[in-house]
Amino acid sequence: MAARMALLKHLRVSVVRFAPQNPNFNTPFSSLGNLLQRRRFSDEVRGSFLDKSEVTDRVVTVVKNFQKVDPSKVTPNAHFQNDLGLDSLDTVEVVMALEEEFGFEIPDNEADKINSINLAVDFIASHPQAK
Amino acid sequence: MGASTGAKLSGMQKQVLGLYRGFLRAARTKSPEERRQIESIVSAEFRRNSKLVDRKNFIYIEYLLRRGKKQLDQLSSPDTVGLSYLNVSNPQTRNS
Repeated sequence: MAARMALLKHLRVSVVRFAPQNPNFNTPFSSLGNLLQRRRFSDEVRGSFLDKSEVTDRVVTVVKNFQKVDPSKVTPNAHFQNDLGLDSLDTVEVVMALEEEFGFEIPDNEADKINSINLAVDFIASHPQAK
Repeated sequence: MGASTGAKLSGMQKQVLGLYRGFLRAARTKSPEERRQIESIVSAEFRRNSKLVDRKNFIYIEYLLRRGKKQLDQLSSPDTVGLSYLNVSNPQTRNS
């Protein structure tokens, strides 16, 4: 019993003694600061997303300029293969042309999924590095 | 192998398209005239093989993929200009 009391007392004291020295004491403030900084950063990133209608216009223009495409068939809802008669190699070329228009690199696994103007617009508009 | 009709791409088709993309990316690093020349040669070669090669001839397609990767490595080197690539690819075009 006495030993237990002594132990408890020791523990209690040690907690009181350690608390003010605890380096983690400031964490609530610094993490708040981090959070604010991160927020500001994400707002900046969000600010650089392109407007979707602008993206659509530019994508349509790029596709219209593609030599194998009949410009009159290009609509914002056109599917590269079904509507525009492009094959998978043409699609690679179109996506590469979009990369150059918007100044960023589209990774292979994403590029393979882009097979319509809608998908291209969605991907580019959700990509912060698109210019 | 070429004209896929919108269905999901097979792994091998993805590799071929990835290789094609690699060539087009490498071509971007060259001078504008070389780039145009490389692009026309490369796209002609891919298109020719897409019509010529049976899509189930996996062994031959794998061979073409390996050969293409080696050629791409050579082309990607900054020392390689389009002309040396032309010398490499023209005899093959004639042979096959």
